Amino acid sequence: MEPVEDRSILDKFCMEFCSLVEKHVKYIIVSGFVAIAAGRKRATEDIDVIIESLDKEKFIRLHGELIKNHFSCIQSDSANEVHSYLKDNLSVRYVRENNEPEMEVKFAKDVLDNLQIQGRIKIPLTGIDVWFGSIEMNIAYKEEYLKSDKDLEDAKHLRIVFDANEEKINKCKELIRKYR
Amino acid sequence: MRDATHMEHVVRWARFVKENPTKWKAQHTEFINAIYEKAGSALDKITQMPGGKEKMRKLRELRIKAASSR
Repeated sequence: MEPVEDRSILDKFCMEFCSLVEKHVKYIIVSGFVAIAAGRKRATEDIDVIIESLDKEKFIRLHGELIKNHFSCIQSDSANEVHSYLKDNLSVRYVRENNEPEMEVKFAKDVLDNLQIQGRIKIPLTGIDVWFGSIEMNIAYKEEYLKSDKDLEDAKHLRIVFDANEEKINKCKELIRKYR
Repeated sequence: MRDATHMEHVVRWARFVKENPTKWKAQHTEFINAIYEKAGSALDKITQMPGGKEKMRKLRELRIKAASSR
């Protein structure tokens, strides 16, 4: 990946978090930050991350590494408690400083999430070395499932920038209808 | 529902990104960083106001509550 000097606060924050997570588990960045990293001009308060489901012991190691690197979890300092949130399919939020965004972390909860993790990609255009869910799945989610103005604008941006494959998007939409 | 000119702007900018792969990033970074710097300085100002620390504490509590209920 080409070095990019003009990385944003969001880019750096995301890369720092993901470099720690990557040591412990496969992950993907999904939703709004995919569009923002690909050039969409808008703010966000959080970056969505899906990670493979971890047992408690492995999660405690990941949580410990994040804490050691000055991240904290909004919901709780206790790794056991944070793990129980995740096992209940709730998201948890890691932050570092007041004026930075939050990393919203979820465990992969079904076939759809795991398929996305298996098919994860890097996107050279973004200039950031992290794993993303596929462009087509992100477009499909925003158009088929989320549907807010903001999400439809994100989808439009991704469609234009990446010449997204319509057939693949439709297949993703079928999967979303089946599993969500 | 946002007015149509908003989506027109989204499309115009997306085309700029696509057609200018070496130019968009600097403008984008400046825009994104400005949002966070502005928010950061607003939070600093709130903290320095009378009762500001208490307001920040309440904001943090609300953030935790909102995050826990999602």
